[in-house]
Amino acid sequence: MYIASVIVTVCANIISVIGLALLTGYTGMFSLGHAGFMAIGAYGAVLLNRYYAVPYFLALISGGVMAAFVSVIIGYPTLRNKLRGDYFAICMLGFGTVVRLILNNLNNPVINGALGLPGIPKLTSLWSALFIMAILVYFMWNFVNSQYGKNCVAVQQQEVAAEMMGVSLVKTKLLSLVISAFYCGVAGGVLGFWLQYIAPASFSDTRSNDFLATLVTGGTNSITGPFLAAILLTTMLEYLRFLVNWRLVVYGLLYILVMRFRPEGIMGYKEFSLKKTILFFKEFPQNMGKLKGKWVGFWESRNRN
Amino acid sequence: MTSSEKILEVNDLVIRFGGLTAIDGVNMHINKGEFVGLIGPNGAGKTTFFNSITGNVTPSEGSISFNGESLLKKSPDVISHMGISRTFQNIRIFPKMTVLENVSLPMHSKPSYNFFSAMLGLPSVKKADKIIQEKAMDFLHRLGIAEYKDYEAGTLPYGLQRRLEIARALAADLSLLLLDEPAAGMNNDECNELVELLQGIHEDFDISIMLIEHHIDVVLNLCSRIYVLNLGQLLAEGPPHEIQSNPDVIRAYLGERREGR
Ligand SMILES: Nc1ncnc2c1ncn2[C@@H]1O[C@H](COP(=O)(O)OP(=O)(O)OP(=O)(O)O)[C@@H](O)[C@H]1O
Ligand SMILES: [Mg+2]
Repeated sequence: MYIASVIVTVCANIISVIGLALLTGYTGMFSLGHAGFMAIGAYGAVLLNRYYAVPYFLALISGGVMAAFVSVIIGYPTLRNKLRGDYFAICMLGFGTVVRLILNNLNNPVINGALGLPGIPKLTSLWSALFIMAILVYFMWNFVNSQYGKNCVAVQQQEVAAEMMGVSLVKTKLLSLVISAFYCGVAGGVLGFWLQYIAPASFSDTRSNDFLATLVTGGTNSITGPFLAAILLTTMLEYLRFLVNWRLVVYGLLYILVMRFRPEGIMGYKEFSLKKTILFFKEFPQNMGKLKGKWVGFWESRNRN
Repeated sequence: MTSSEKILEVNDLVIRFGGLTAIDGVNMHINKGEFVGLIGPNGAGKTTFFNSITGNVTPSEGSISFNGESLLKKSPDVISHMGISRTFQNIRIFPKMTVLENVSLPMHSKPSYNFFSAMLGLPSVKKADKIIQEKAMDFLHRLGIAEYKDYEAGTLPYGLQRRLEIARALAADLSLLLLDEPAAGMNNDECNELVELLQGIHEDFDISIMLIEHHIDVVLNLCSRIYVLNLGQLLAEGPPHEIQSNPDVIRAYLGERREGR
């Protein structure tokens, strides 16, 4: 069952990271508080199921909708006032912390404060997690390749021109935020019904950072990049448990390497394609030659300087 | 084709940036179908004037109206949908998007389907996208850059990026086009080519155009009326031959700097 646990965790992380990919990778807005939306989704879904017997799938969707609703309340005033990108990130950081603190301090029998909610029924199965993840990734894939997705990229690339060509900045940014919040909300529900226990501490800022780091590693303007990065980094984190705190060092080193050599992320502005990969291996000798040429060029240019 | 019906009217426009008055009581208008020039030395306030029309800069005083409707307090995207489009002095393409995507953008800045259909990837969505792509190809052909449609826009040479910007501006459903130094950095041959191109566009698209340009020949060849701006104030207005022989204009071009303050 350990493998199943890893896979469900991977699925939940993929859902969150893909949601964040729209906001950060496509629209270009950084958030350090999306664990807050995950918390809202998780608590929302679990409580709806517990007190109103809302069935699993409906509870997940409702949790996502709650997260999306809160994101409008936070996002609209911030975005309407044209807060610059970095202010938005800080705003979201504050939001994530506030959600956690509120949950921590609601010591009523429903929320149960810092102790969290134990005894959640195990409604998430390996297959439901995989299914939900696949559906949501498919939806996001369609979305980013639609007119909406192109508008998001235009805003990220050249905000002034995008607005002058008729793209409403507030609408585009808000829609990205709302969808990303929904995704994180659903991910929270999936995880809650698997772990059977959630607490405010499960949705710490570290988690938000991890999402962002995974996304940036995977690549901006890409779905497959963050998707693969979420699989890779989540499993790595699981299997590096024996390193205890040292694993964070390994993590950090990885980020430094990615930022140094591929600041746009491993798959930045690219999508993984099976066809191209097969082609790459078919023409392996030539491609290795090219790669070698690049490296030689790189070292030579370094030595010259 | 020029009628005396005013498409754009600007009255007593004043724009201040802190202590600097970039535009100082300017009156201007553009008639329907007209090709108007706007010239003046560096820092005269030409770009700022464009920015105020398109909603990028908020005027301190005065009024701007387009087809009788005030543009004040409207955001650039709203103004764009009213029918004003522009190019930028410092090129502002979407560098990592393809040439085709760049030109498609204005046509779907308000998507024609809702976002649920987009997520579901309905056939109607694919169809709508395809129609826009085909229209975008027409603009690329018109500007002679169709062969670069799949190139990342940022990798195009400078001259083609300028063309791409014009193609993109035309793709917005427009009736007034504002061109900010489209000939910057071009040699004489390229300038002549541009003149021909813009003349064709003006006739075929049946639009009004205002052109900012330092290459004076380009302006004289294209525009039926020219405004001269200096230090934020209107120095002269009239047909090309009058402007050419206006002593004030000649003096302004020979020097005289904006006094500090
Ligand atoms: N956003 C701004 N904030 C402060 N000052 C500005 C701003 N935009 C323009 N200015 C100032 O307003 C004046 C007019 O600038 P503008 O760019 O309109 O000139 P221009 O006529 O377009 O010049 P050029 O021919 O060099 O393009 C300049 O002194 C400029 O520094
Ligand atoms: Mg200028």
